[in-house]
Amino acid sequence: MFAYKFDWAIVTSGQYFEWLVSGVKITLELSVVSIALSFALGLFVAVMRMSNARPLLWFSHAYLEFFRNTPLLIQIFFWYFGSYKILPEVVNDWLNTMDFEFAAAVIALTIYTSAFIAEDIRSGVRSIPKEQMEAARSSGFSYLRSMQYVILPQAVRITIPPLINQFLNLTKNSSLAMTIGVAELTYQARQVESYTFKGFEAFTAATLVYLGMSLIITGLVTLYSKRVLSPMGVK
Amino acid sequence: MKRFGIVLLTLLFIGSMCGTAVAGDTLDEVKKKGVLVAGVKDSTPGFGYIDEKTREIVGYDVDFCKAIAKRLGVKLELKPVTSASRIPQLVAGNIDIAAATMTKTADRAKQIDFSYTYFFTGQKFITPKGKVKKLSDLDGKKIGTAKGSTSEQNAKKSLPTATILSFDDYPQAFLALQQGKVAAVTTDESILANILSKAPDKRKYEIPSIRISDEPYGLGVRKGDKKLLDFVNATILEMEKSGEAAKIFNKWFGPKSPTPLKRDFKITSEKLPWEK
Repeated sequence: MFAYKFDWAIVTSGQYFEWLVSGVKITLELSVVSIALSFALGLFVAVMRMSNARPLLWFSHAYLEFFRNTPLLIQIFFWYFGSYKILPEVVNDWLNTMDFEFAAAVIALTIYTSAFIAEDIRSGVRSIPKEQMEAARSSGFSYLRSMQYVILPQAVRITIPPLINQFLNLTKNSSLAMTIGVAELTYQARQVESYTFKGFEAFTAATLVYLGMSLIITGLVTLYSKRVLSPMGVK
Repeated sequence: MKRFGIVLLTLLFIGSMCGTAVAGDTLDEVKKKGVLVAGVKDSTPGFGYIDEKTREIVGYDVDFCKAIAKRLGVKLELKPVTSASRIPQLVAGNIDIAAATMTKTADRAKQIDFSYTYFFTGQKFITPKGKVKKLSDLDGKKIGTAKGSTSEQNAKKSLPTATILSFDDYPQAFLALQQGKVAAVTTDESILANILSKAPDKRKYEIPSIRISDEPYGLGVRKGDKKLLDFVNATILEMEKSGEAAKIFNKWFGPKSPTPLKRDFKITSEKLPWEK
């Protein structure tokens, strides 16, 4: 009945293990860089979305709807293959000498995730009583400064749980970068599978690593909000 | 009642596992069903691709399957597979035979059984014209190929300092070449020749005479499916003798085809060094 022979050694030592480790490294790099950038960009777009200036409002609205409602895979292909047609040749030549695969994946992941993060932050901001904004403004803060010092610090804390979701999604979504040849974890697991035909072992190892990374991210953010944010008075 | 449900589920689960693991006799089964299910490529020009007019999968691989099904007296059902999925599909019993531009390797032979070599080619590169004269010109460059293929492994072996970028398929790898993202695309010569023949800017590219591997293609059957394998081998040997095999080659790779190649092989019962 069980004709399949398990061979866990291939994913715990030797060349294939090294491949998986290098894949984990790339996945971590992709995720960390994209999480940082998408958070910053998401914050920025959220502020635009809540401003009173019409053009900013329209732009941010269009941005959110566009990037939230198109598949990430298409966006990755767009940045990697599609951008070639609209960029000047000099830029293309320069990009080609760089690690453009990685960059295109970061751009796609960042922009895609920032749209979700912006909406999460916006709902966090809306949960802050509007009297606080009025109080800040009447104390002489400008709109941006009120946001910066009063509203956002509170809103971001409230937004922590949905943000964890977005960071987890981003980490898992980074596996799509394999389609443009970024040698991240899923790519390497598939590589091990095609060399050894031990798909079960390779993908189990990858699954465990993703699970581990997700738990670590959840743990870190929870710890941060408990240790750093809660003592500051926000529950 | 609850327990009964669990028992039923368990039985179903075990039953489903037995179903896939049975390495019974595919030849008898195929005859009984009246259908031979063949896994073929559907986007590899010349071997298995969708004809624009008829919307059916046609090609060199398909014609071999047709010939085998005809001699078995059964209908042929084609299932599209990819380089990465053909062996799992075969092992899982979703297809009876894999005719999908599959290079015979010792590693793969541990998973499935191969027929005699029915097509012989080698791995080369497409590069921008005049850029690459010898293999070392590609040292340290980015090379495009497709996932799950031997091409990827050969390229890694012969160009250890190069970065191998694996795409989902060869047209995508060629797009990356056209956009200057990779310095070369590597895979079997026949596949390259066809990609090139279809490219609108083909004059800008060439296939330099650098060969990095021998690629004997074999038809794959499940491990231990000896009766089917013997039948397949006998059939393709007979096709060689009758000239049918050469005719199929000319149909897809002859001088008038989009992929003109030279037929410098014959189907024989000779074994590869590692098969002995």
